Amino acid sequence: MLNKIIWGNITFLHLLMAVVILLVAGLIAKILSLYIRRILKEKVSKDHLQLIIKIVSFTVYAIAILSAFAVLGLKLTGVLFGGAMAGIILGFASQSIVGNFIAGIFLIIEKPIKIGDQVNIEDMTGFVEDIRIISTSIRTYDGLYVRIPNQTVFTTKMTNYVGNIVRRFDYMVGIRYSDDADKAIAIIKDVIEQHPFALKKPKPLAYVDNLGDNAVNIMVRIWAPVSEWYELKQVMLWKIKATLEQEGIEIAFPQRTLWFANELESKNVDSG
Amino acid sequence: MFGTHAIPLSLKNEEFSLLIEKEGDLFVYKREAGKEKKEKIILGDEKKVIINPVEPLNQPKELSPYLDIEFERTLTIKHGSSRKIFLKFPLEIGVFLFEKNTFDVLDIFTLTKPKFTLYGDPHNGMICRYWKSDIFSSPPPLEYYHEGIMQLILTNTSEEWEEVSKVIFNAYGMKIYYNDKMVAMKAEMKVMGQSTAETAFFDSPLKKGMKKALELYVAKKIPITTTKFMMREGI
Repeated sequence: MLNKIIWGNITFLHLLMAVVILLVAGLIAKILSLYIRRILKEKVSKDHLQLIIKIVSFTVYAIAILSAFAVLGLKLTGVLFGGAMAGIILGFASQSIVGNFIAGIFLIIEKPIKIGDQVNIEDMTGFVEDIRIISTSIRTYDGLYVRIPNQTVFTTKMTNYVGNIVRRFDYMVGIRYSDDADKAIAIIKDVIEQHPFALKKPKPLAYVDNLGDNAVNIMVRIWAPVSEWYELKQVMLWKIKATLEQEGIEIAFPQRTLWFANELESKNVDSG
Repeated sequence: MFGTHAIPLSLKNEEFSLLIEKEGDLFVYKREAGKEKKEKIILGDEKKVIINPVEPLNQPKELSPYLDIEFERTLTIKHGSSRKIFLKFPLEIGVFLFEKNTFDVLDIFTLTKPKFTLYGDPHNGMICRYWKSDIFSSPPPLEYYHEGIMQLILTNTSEEWEEVSKVIFNAYGMKIYYNDKMVAMKAEMKVMGQSTAETAFFDSPLKKGMKKALELYVAKKIPITTTKFMMREGI
């Protein structure tokens, strides 16, 4: 019964084996889909998850169909040749798509950026709006929507401004040569101490950095939680300036003292 | 002033004032503390408010659940020993609307100066509310609405003398108790090595008769997974 020839050299047994291979492949694809869904459910978006599941399922089915063909004794030379040609054509056509897709998978796994992060990619600075399987979208600070292919995101230099939990900013405060730099530093440190988000550690710094042409330049370095960094940077410089001036220390401005070799002659001109 | 009060209410001391008064069909909440003023309209039928000390995690902004108490002077503890010390910790004052066992946060304020710090490195570390305290061998005198007393059981489970300069807590686990003289809580720190320790709070009052403060994460319905904290970046 099982060895009964149905068509050409194909027996009922061959047909049965081919059907079993396809059924087992269906079962494997289903199990793999469930497994992938379970492990990636919290890690990737719904759209990406569906795409990954489809790719895995199609791969399993493709292997199963080729195996079934082999069991049935069908010559795959033509199929493989056609498939290879189609593969080459599709490969060239979809080279960048595949590259972006693979880069997208690496972005999802490595997680150098997250949705909501503030980043700079290829001189584009803004908030990450979405990380999709082929591209990443950014909302720039002036509200533009920018779509960047994942291959670019993955292979070019990228800065994630909120990748660490704290961030530093610096000011250079120039005071007059006639002012007391030690007193100015003490005042600046006190202003920093008063602000809750100017972190205690890493320790803030204020020191004479250089003696400039017109001012004694004090370097001020302040660390802040990354969420408060921009707001703190906006307010601290003016606080420092205002407090220094309250204490009689002036911010220097460019000036030049001229010395004349000979005393200048002057004469009074009477209007009468 | 800490405790349950009926609405309308008018409470005032030298440092802050709280007022809930009726304006037509509405109630208006007014609070003044230092230079800061706050006003809110209450649309609800609640008849009571609870005012009590809460975890110092909210002012000026809820930035971190961790509290870092740095010691004015470092201490050294012998291996295998356990000692009881006292510290001061900062307070925030919570005002809750209260009706049939449900609580809602109306206001949180503080009379202390908040400050934050980083524990660990910039990549893997954490932001903590910062506070500096001396170490006391008995409960120290304190500013009632500003700070509380923490009894800390310090145990060195390692095999060497260890130096301790700070203690960090997951402040969501705080169990704060109060009476009309003091605010207090009990905690422990198990030193496990040169840079590792585990901290936790005990749910018991420092003195008999102290009343347990309403915990903020209960009122805010925040799910808490753990109230212990493992210090791995130095002690």
